[in-house]
Amino acid sequence: MVRVKSRYLLCEITVSDRSQLLQLDDRAVATAVRAAVARTHGDYGAAQCVIGFSVKYLNAHTGIVFLRFPKRCYRLLWSALPFITCIETRGHKIPCVLNCLHVGGTIRTCQKFLIKYNTQQLHQMLPKCKNDEEKQQVRKAILTCSLPGSNRKESEEDFESEEDEEE
Amino acid sequence: MSVFMDLNLTFTEDKSVLQRMIETAAQLGFSTVAINYMFEPKAKKKPQIPAPTPITELMDQLPVVQGRSRPIRVLNRLTLVMSDSFHFRSTAPEYRCFDLLAVQPTTEKLFHAACMVYDIDIICVSVTERLPFFFKRAPVNGAIDRGVVFEVSYSAAIRDSTMRRYTIANAISLIECCKGKSVMVSSAAEKALELRGPYDVTNLSLLFGLSDKDCKEAVSSTCRSVLLHGETRKTASGIIYTVKSCSEASDQQEAPPQSETCEAPPSKKQKSSVTE
Repeated sequence: MVRVKSRYLLCEITVSDRSQLLQLDDRAVATAVRAAVARTHGDYGAAQCVIGFSVKYLNAHTGIVFLRFPKRCYRLLWSALPFITCIETRGHKIPCVLNCLHVGGTIRTCQKFLIKYNTQQLHQMLPKCKNDEEKQQVRKAILTCSLPGSNRKESEEDFESEEDEEE
Repeated sequence: MSVFMDLNLTFTEDKSVLQRMIETAAQLGFSTVAINYMFEPKAKKKPQIPAPTPITELMDQLPVVQGRSRPIRVLNRLTLVMSDSFHFRSTAPEYRCFDLLAVQPTTEKLFHAACMVYDIDIICVSVTERLPFFFKRAPVNGAIDRGVVFEVSYSAAIRDSTMRRYTIANAISLIECCKGKSVMVSSAAEKALELRGPYDVTNLSLLFGLSDKDCKEAVSSTCRSVLLHGETRKTASGIIYTVKSCSEASDQQEAPPQSETCEAPPSKKQKSSVTE
């Protein structure tokens, strides 16, 4: 058996105002990517984007998004991503930047990387807590929010709760 | 993993914008950035070169680079937009305040002089207009031999579609001429949202016609050699440099002697330091 090969780009959506992230949805991101590809690579790029491109996963809380591209032309399509300046959803435009964190061959490797990345983020943020009480609160939040069976969800939840804590 | 650098963040009067930019750059994984002061000498008037704002004044605490434990390094850089040869005075004391010195020549004659004669680190390629001249092999090769680096900036391409065409066209014509050697890609960002991650930039430079290897070098090792070149500019052939010893008590932990000998930085592209 031969399977269809594709590349998964793990991207982080950066916005100036974090609350705007919650307005995003899969389709808006997909439209923005398609539009950017069409703008930079014209009809040829748009045609490549029709088959095999999809937004696999979007976490609106942390702004993590998985993009799937066909392996044959992922570099071409990737080169259009820096030209995304805003995503349009429900009538308003959200200025944002897609920052690619990792490129993987399967969703599994991307997930592994994401868990590692989020742990790193947590370690970077913990020293910023102002007092011990806050730290304990964060720890408790992490321990309570674990979902059995889904490892990935858990680690993202960590990140999220940490974010809330910071604000 | 290599060290990524972005040697062009446009200076703005607004401090909070600059701070945000530096924070974003650190978060994206750039370990060195340079704040760029654009300077365009006007005819007749006595040119007044801006003095750089000290980094300590700009930010109290530099943010930690993503994935590393060290804080980000911030440098100052001056870019001269030249339209006449007297705009560049090689011995101007104002240049010494800056870590890096760049010029953006607008005529072929100046481009030739910048490549062959001027004591500079970076030659900017204009990305917002049609190229006023063609690149010739001889001066470009001369610049590569001297360790001077060409710079292409991408943020104009992000802003506007026509600029994107000019950026790509000018970059391709440059890269065809120098075969991808000693080209660096930087942002020239004015806002935090115009910065892109190092891997995105690497991939973006594929559009400019760089090969995979040169793409990566454009954001890492070429930038490093520029920094070293900038250091050798201040010194005598990169062998000896003098430091003013401050008479305060603070010199105990730093304690640099009056003149300190340091070895010439071992860089591949540092042939220039000997020939100067």
